[in-house]
Amino acid sequence: MNDILFGCIQCGRCTGGCPVSVRSALNIRKLIYRSLIKIKNKSKDLGIWECTTCSTCSIRCPKGVDVVDYIIDLRSDEIERGKVQPQVRDTLESVFKFGNPWGRIREKRADWLEGNGVRILQPGDKTRFLYFVGCTPCYDTRTQEIARAMVRVLKTASCDFAILGIQETCCGNEVKRMGEVGLFEMLVEENTKLFKKFDIGTFFTTSPHCFNTFKNEYIDLDFVIEHYTTLINRFIKEGRIEPRGKFEKRVVFHDPCFLGKQNDIYEEPRELLRSVPGIELFEFERSRERSLCCEGGGGRMWVETESDEERLAVTRVKDAAVLEVDVIATACPFCLLTLEDAVKTSNLEDSIKVMDIVEILDEALGLKDEEERVPEYQNTRSSDSKQSQ
Amino acid sequence: MTKDIFVIVEHRRGEVRDITFELLTKGYELSRDRGKLLAVLLGFQNEKIIDKLKPFAETILNIDDERLKEFNAEYYQIVLSNLLQEKKPFITLLGQTAFGIDFAPSLSTAIDLPYSSDCLDLEIENDTVFTERQIYGGKINSRISLAENWGYLVSVRPGSIAPRDVELVAEVVDVSSPIKEDIDYRKFMQYVEAAKGEVDITQSEVVIGIGRGIKEDKNLSMMEDFAKSIGGVLACSRPVVDAGWLTKDRQVGSSGKTVKPKLYIAVGISGAFQHVMGMKGADTIVAINKDPNAPIFTVANYGIVGDLLQVIPKLNEKITELKGA
Amino acid sequence: MNIAVCIKRVPETAEAAVNIDSSEKHIIPDQLVFDINEADNYALEEALLLREKTEGDITLFTVGSKESDEVIKMGLAKGATRGVRITPENLDNLDAYAVAKLLAEQVKEGNFDLILTGCISSDVGNSQVGVTLAELLGIPHATLVIKMGIEDGFATVQRELEGGLLEELKIKLPALFTIQTGINEPRYASILGIKRAAQKELRVIENITAEGMKAEVVKMYYPPVGKMAEILEGGVEEVSGKLCEILKGKGLL
Repeated sequence: MNDILFGCIQCGRCTGGCPVSVRSALNIRKLIYRSLIKIKNKSKDLGIWECTTCSTCSIRCPKGVDVVDYIIDLRSDEIERGKVQPQVRDTLESVFKFGNPWGRIREKRADWLEGNGVRILQPGDKTRFLYFVGCTPCYDTRTQEIARAMVRVLKTASCDFAILGIQETCCGNEVKRMGEVGLFEMLVEENTKLFKKFDIGTFFTTSPHCFNTFKNEYIDLDFVIEHYTTLINRFIKEGRIEPRGKFEKRVVFHDPCFLGKQNDIYEEPRELLRSVPGIELFEFERSRERSLCCEGGGGRMWVETESDEERLAVTRVKDAAVLEVDVIATACPFCLLTLEDAVKTSNLEDSIKVMDIVEILDEALGLKDEEERVPEYQNTRSSDSKQSQ
Repeated sequence: MTKDIFVIVEHRRGEVRDITFELLTKGYELSRDRGKLLAVLLGFQNEKIIDKLKPFAETILNIDDERLKEFNAEYYQIVLSNLLQEKKPFITLLGQTAFGIDFAPSLSTAIDLPYSSDCLDLEIENDTVFTERQIYGGKINSRISLAENWGYLVSVRPGSIAPRDVELVAEVVDVSSPIKEDIDYRKFMQYVEAAKGEVDITQSEVVIGIGRGIKEDKNLSMMEDFAKSIGGVLACSRPVVDAGWLTKDRQVGSSGKTVKPKLYIAVGISGAFQHVMGMKGADTIVAINKDPNAPIFTVANYGIVGDLLQVIPKLNEKITELKGA
Repeated sequence: MNIAVCIKRVPETAEAAVNIDSSEKHIIPDQLVFDINEADNYALEEALLLREKTEGDITLFTVGSKESDEVIKMGLAKGATRGVRITPENLDNLDAYAVAKLLAEQVKEGNFDLILTGCISSDVGNSQVGVTLAELLGIPHATLVIKMGIEDGFATVQRELEGGLLEELKIKLPALFTIQTGINEPRYASILGIKRAAQKELRVIENITAEGMKAEVVKMYYPPVGKMAEILEGGVEEVSGKLCEILKGKGLL
């Protein structure tokens, strides 16, 4: 058992703030109580796989107990015994074999580029900025749009940036939170070794999840690590990107847990949105440190919930509908997918759109249309990418 | 010396299985200018089966024994190892089926016959036997040669040979059963029918088959919606049943059901032959898959190379529009 | 009860392109990712589940290169007792019979009550090794097993036949079964578990030459491009529209 739990005074603030406790068996206070008096915990009854590792509990704990780490430990026990949900098994095996959780082969990792020219780093290369795309925007067709928007926006900043192409491998943030410690350590080692082959100035990510683990959990990286919102916001302030055009919509920003709660980045995404002409920016009642988790973190993209209660993403979308916004903006591929799914299940597809901030910027700048007007632009098919590597 | 071709007859519950006629077609072709085509029938009270076989073989070797009523690899091996060693046929053909898989490897080992399994075709060149096989999920073919011997065993993949009527009249030769005593180490107990579900996929005119490409069970509801709006039923390939997403009675393929709908839409199905076996008789086949090299596109009439998560909702939308109009 | 499980390391080729090398007798393995053969993984799980009910050892056998240690270690991490890797000098041109013979030499010493293996390998798919091994060991077998129960020295198994029909057999142990996929839900092997498994016994049989091959690969080739579907071209919107028109034209909508 975890020594740190002895600090617990059973005040219950953790459970009170836990977004999934209202809709699942997860009751953190009880979980700790049972551990302290050494009742063997049966995970299934206690909902440890419901946790999204959003960290609200740890932030609220007056005694500084790291509750999330304890839940991850409990998951690790199950991982070591091997009896986990098939989806969890398949996800982890996929990361081990292919370097991504989506079961897709490495050769197709850069297919999202669709023939667009972006420099792919080769060993020994130097780059001012390295764009770490992340597994989901590399393979998932919806979030590939984010990566393509990112490339278009970065090109207007005329900065020297590059990507890793098919060399890129899962960051391990979710792997760690699913309790697969060994696999996480392996990824840290391999990624660190890979990054050392290049001379990187600033390293930035699409996803706050990748950002979080590279920034806080990799110990041996010698370059600046940022989430793209801070980087692009700076570019705008420096005048390297000039948000022209218009985006005349009512927009509410949904704080990704791994950007806000876990890394204190609240202002930059809002500043970025405000800099786009035409946007009328709204706030959820629960925002910033009180923001409601979308349930996409902590491996929950691959864990089926046992609960039939309303999903938090649906709650979030309904709140947005009350605000009568046109767009829910976020800055995380997982948030985007879970919220977009919730928009569909709530039958709000005609009134609410979910967009990543960089997609909004891209649209305001009119970059996508511009690209489509270029006559020689061609959609090259996926299977060719192997030869080009 | 004549070089005869033997075909091991496959039957179950009194019915001759289709593979037998496919093998007899190939056997007839191979036996011309070489020798005779003989059907080897192991069973009990075989009259009805013999009637069915007569037009397809020159000779039927009939082994009638109560212990051969149901298939049992152990009894088959006793009978066939005797018969093959005595008659020395040049090639013995059987099906790569639950029946052939279960007795051919041990038979070939017991009497030292070179054996090539799961073949799409075979050729004889200067007395050397060559077989054609599919490997790596149909992405590569291989040509196999068998070591020189008096005879060879070849199992053929069901559905790879189109059966033809050869209009023969077989002579029936009774062969006495060499089985001396009952075997106690392998006993047939009973047939068990897979549990029946609510929907009979063989009765629907439109069948939507889903495969491994579905990735997550949460995408099932999208597929159900789609099946509903197009007026079809949801069926699947084996991995979907293995994952527990649909029940066994929805499985299309060699170990599942055979469907012959007017329209079959294969979604996220690569097209392994086991699946193709069960749906290739559909009038119109549409395949949606993100791998442009997926073998399913060689079976389909129309193909869409793309992500099913994008294509299906859009298709659903268009169909709903069309039907509404 | 002592159980032997025969497993194989195979490439994952569901999505990957498979290329043939210049000898035209082998594929190029460089770009491919390897794993335990799918059906073998179910066989291994079946052994582990049985061992949870009865005492005994599980021994893993494989015929393959040094890299096959990966799948042995994965099996050891899941709970197998020991592994045996057989690497003959002429590994590259074995046929199914030769593989079974190599296995038989090792397995026969082990006094096993039960031998399990997958019903088919996803690479060359002969479905021969298991049954050939049973014959070489002189024990009964059943293939395509989708359900299994053991009592008083006998196994009651269900075999999967065609058309959703099953066949129930009673078979005396020792016996060999080839396991069909879907019989259970294979567990996960953690990376730490795999690292710890390095301490378990892994016997390597080398410096031997396999004999008795009866089937030889003359050449490998890419399947001829036969009939191909008419591939609808365009974006999602466009192809969806085209398909609807086609289906409508055929009276299928």
